[in-house]
Amino acid sequence: MLRYIAHRLLMAAVTIFFITIITFVIIQLPPGDFADAYIAQLAASGSAVSAAEAENLRREFGLDDPIFIQYVKWIGKILVGNFGYSMEWRRPVWDILSDRLWLTLAVSVSALLITWLIAIPVGIYSAVRKYSVGDYIFTFLGFIGLAVPNFLLALIMLYIGFRYFGTSVGGLFSPEYEQAPWSLAKVLDLLAHLVLPAFILAMAGTAQLIRLMRANLLDELRQPYVVTARAKGLTAMRVLVKYPVRASLNPFVSSMAYVFPQLISGSIIVALVLGLPTVGPVLLRALVAQDMYLAGAIVLLLGVLTVIGTFISDLLLMWLDPRIRFQVTQ
Amino acid sequence: MIVIKQGYGALRRASMHRLSGVALAAMLAMSGQAVFAQGALEGSSLIGQLEGAEVYAEEIAFSNGFGEAPELADLVAAGELPPVAERLPSQPLVLQTLEEIGQYGGTWRTAFTGPGDSEAGNRVMASDRVLTWDYSGSTLKPSVARDWEISEDGFQTTLHLREGMKWSNGDPFTADDFVFWYEDVYKNSDIGGPRIQELQVAGSEGRVVKVDDYTVRFEFDGPNFLLVEQFAAQGNVGGQTWGQNSGRSLGPYAPAAYLKQFHPDYTPLEEVEQTAQAAGYENWVQYFHFLKDWRLNTELPVLGPWKTVQPINTSNWVLERNPYYWMVDTEGNQLPYIDRVNFGLAEDLEVVNLRAIAGEYDYQQRHLQLAKLPVLLENQERGDYTVHIDLATYGADLVLHMNMSYTADEEIGKWLRNVDFRRALSLGIDREQLNETFWIGLGTSGSPVVADESPENPGPEWRTKWSTYQPDEANRMLDAIGLDQRDDEGYRVRTDNGQRLVLQAAAVQSLQPYPQQLEMVAQQWKDIGIALDVRETERSLAFTRLLNNELQIFPFSNSGSEKLFLVPHYVVPIDPSQSNNGPEFARWYVSGGEQGVAPEDPYMIEVFDLFRQAPSVGEEERNRLAQEIWKIVVDQQWSIGAVGVSPGSFGTRVVSNKLGNTPERSCVANQCRTPSAAYPQQFFFR
Repeated sequence: MLRYIAHRLLMAAVTIFFITIITFVIIQLPPGDFADAYIAQLAASGSAVSAAEAENLRREFGLDDPIFIQYVKWIGKILVGNFGYSMEWRRPVWDILSDRLWLTLAVSVSALLITWLIAIPVGIYSAVRKYSVGDYIFTFLGFIGLAVPNFLLALIMLYIGFRYFGTSVGGLFSPEYEQAPWSLAKVLDLLAHLVLPAFILAMAGTAQLIRLMRANLLDELRQPYVVTARAKGLTAMRVLVKYPVRASLNPFVSSMAYVFPQLISGSIIVALVLGLPTVGPVLLRALVAQDMYLAGAIVLLLGVLTVIGTFISDLLLMWLDPRIRFQVTQ
Repeated sequence: MIVIKQGYGALRRASMHRLSGVALAAMLAMSGQAVFAQGALEGSSLIGQLEGAEVYAEEIAFSNGFGEAPELADLVAAGELPPVAERLPSQPLVLQTLEEIGQYGGTWRTAFTGPGDSEAGNRVMASDRVLTWDYSGSTLKPSVARDWEISEDGFQTTLHLREGMKWSNGDPFTADDFVFWYEDVYKNSDIGGPRIQELQVAGSEGRVVKVDDYTVRFEFDGPNFLLVEQFAAQGNVGGQTWGQNSGRSLGPYAPAAYLKQFHPDYTPLEEVEQTAQAAGYENWVQYFHFLKDWRLNTELPVLGPWKTVQPINTSNWVLERNPYYWMVDTEGNQLPYIDRVNFGLAEDLEVVNLRAIAGEYDYQQRHLQLAKLPVLLENQERGDYTVHIDLATYGADLVLHMNMSYTADEEIGKWLRNVDFRRALSLGIDREQLNETFWIGLGTSGSPVVADESPENPGPEWRTKWSTYQPDEANRMLDAIGLDQRDDEGYRVRTDNGQRLVLQAAAVQSLQPYPQQLEMVAQQWKDIGIALDVRETERSLAFTRLLNNELQIFPFSNSGSEKLFLVPHYVVPIDPSQSNNGPEFARWYVSGGEQGVAPEDPYMIEVFDLFRQAPSVGEEERNRLAQEIWKIVVDQQWSIGAVGVSPGSFGTRVVSNKLGNTPERSCVANQCRTPSAAYPQQFFFR
């Protein structure tokens, strides 16, 4: 058992090392560099830039060094916890991200909870009452949620919110709390603003999980042990929750690894539209502006999150599913 | 003596009724050829009189003393700030406000889209240029400098500063600040950049000389009559806020007393390095770039009406009044009237537009889209704002820059360099269709030439020269130059291998939806047998490829060309970093023939010659040069204009009804640093 965990940890470390290399290569792939992107950006905002400035920028950020040297410098700093300096924001990368990481997690976790709270009960209902009116209605709604693009939903919600409820447009805080220190009032303000983005993000994932839950449960319900349990006089509810539902949760847990990165990157456009101060929009801008160290830090973070998520979901699966546990200990 | 203007603007606002989008388009649309910029929107109540506050020409004694904001008066009373008379120079700039003497207070809510959007703030601060233009963008006016003179022979430009003028931290502002910038920033090999063209005349570097504390002289080895205009432009000597952020070290002055503490020529290098490392920077150079950046460093002394109190790399970029600002109204009240400017972060343009209709902005024109006009109008009452349309004076929101130095594909390069080929392409564009679709009919169709009322415009006939829709003529011309063979789909074929002749355009999503506009052009060019392949390209990639001479056609605007000699690169290929119609020629031009490729086109060489003469002649002669250049540029069609002189890029403006002294129509131009020409420092909340 311990050997298994140690082995997994070692694999994770190796994977992360490769992720750093791939991250850096990916970021260097597009032609041009931050200086070019900066000129383009200024030109597009109606400004003129001279060749002199581009030269300055390259010098300032060492963009003329070979890629290998740039990678070594970057990784050397990361090992001591320094993620470097964002060229566009002109702030240490960690400063920018730490502000937004917590809010990102708040949005993501709320979305995840809403997804599960809807998907699991509805999935169970749809499986147990297969082809009933309720099953069809839920399925229909779920597919609508899956079909409407998130960002469009966000825009429509924004417009409705402003038009009929007079809410302020976008963001996670009302203007008066934006810069205020944390207080109970600010937390409540945040919660009030969280509902909409979390709900919008949850819409897409819900349908998928409902179908997964339904299909898995239908498979399980046909198993002989269910019939046996019922024959022994256990109530329908008890039978359902004790074994089939537990077995059907497997996909929820094994997909957990991908849930976090997906929630961060999958919500970029929604976050942009809703004006959320999360990591997504920063990643997008960093990639467009070729702000290497910032983009690199975020991509690396997503990679590491995936690896950690996989590790945790492995452990959880062992706890959840006796069949897996049996394989490992053999 | 103050003239109170008739409030007929208010009457007009009251009569502004709600319109549906369709009715609006019908009302405003122009069906014929719009020759005059004003014609397209004649009678529309959305476009008012071009107006603005003005620099008061006469001296006022202000025997009753000066007025100041209540919060500053409190600081003075508490002994934390010198009295207002001591904070102002002995000859402050007196501003004739647009409508009335304002009152102090309030926060101006506006938008910015992230740390790359420095321009949102730079433009509000643009009165920190040495000189500036009047509200119409046509006459030079004093700003930071009180007065200027150019010697008879043009070898010397002298600036007279304001005696007793101070930086926002109370340090004196003197000729030393100019010399410090020139000697220790611009010329310092660690922080300065390469030489700038504004200070080069006759192939040699100019000099910045301190005559006395309040007089500074720029000396050259040849005549330079252009420098004074460049002081008022968005160029390399365009003032501190524009020139010294994001690692730039442009001039022509810098806060010497403050920056010397961090500069190794004045403070021991070890000490400077230590300070930098203690602040978390790798070396003094990186720290210095942070220190002189007004968007980031809240300690930095500035000359603009406000100063940063919360930096740009947060979700609210906040500016607060500069207690030492050197401008007063005609009754001696220190400007600005408004306490604070709050730029709220909106990372998506849709959010900016939504917030605008929700009435969350007091004065906003950046990032508002003309296409949203119907929605903006519909919500005027609810949002308590008024929509204004401001026409720009540059010639083209959409111009197809032909890369004259393209060689990657010999056959294509040959045709791009063929004048009749380019003219035919231009005659094959149905500009009215583009105008109706993308500018709701509010643009002006024609060549890329500057607006007719500009002194640089060679005459109204140049708006239509080679720039009307004549597909039959275009077909005839293309047949005549040897492209008469077509494939089975009707496209003309190459003369070298008989394959279809395909032109490529790299279109970016930027000030305009260029990819969509080019797709429409591609449809229109089908009728003249020309295949156009539109590649939507990410912005920085497109510019990189442009520099590398890899693009054939680049659709962009020519914003800035309304003052040809201040921003020439959209018209003449003279700046390698942004030369849209011939990057290799630009390299050749700048390097004096050492790099790049020499143009063979005699017209291009003639334009270069005309352009070189500009600094050494006076304004009238320069306007004549500009007209000559425009004539050649339009006749040669190096850049094919489509639609411009429009409100297309910065011309949709939302103004809160609570805000006073705002113009009916404001100048939208590169040199006006929109909204700076409207003098935001005299806006006030009623």
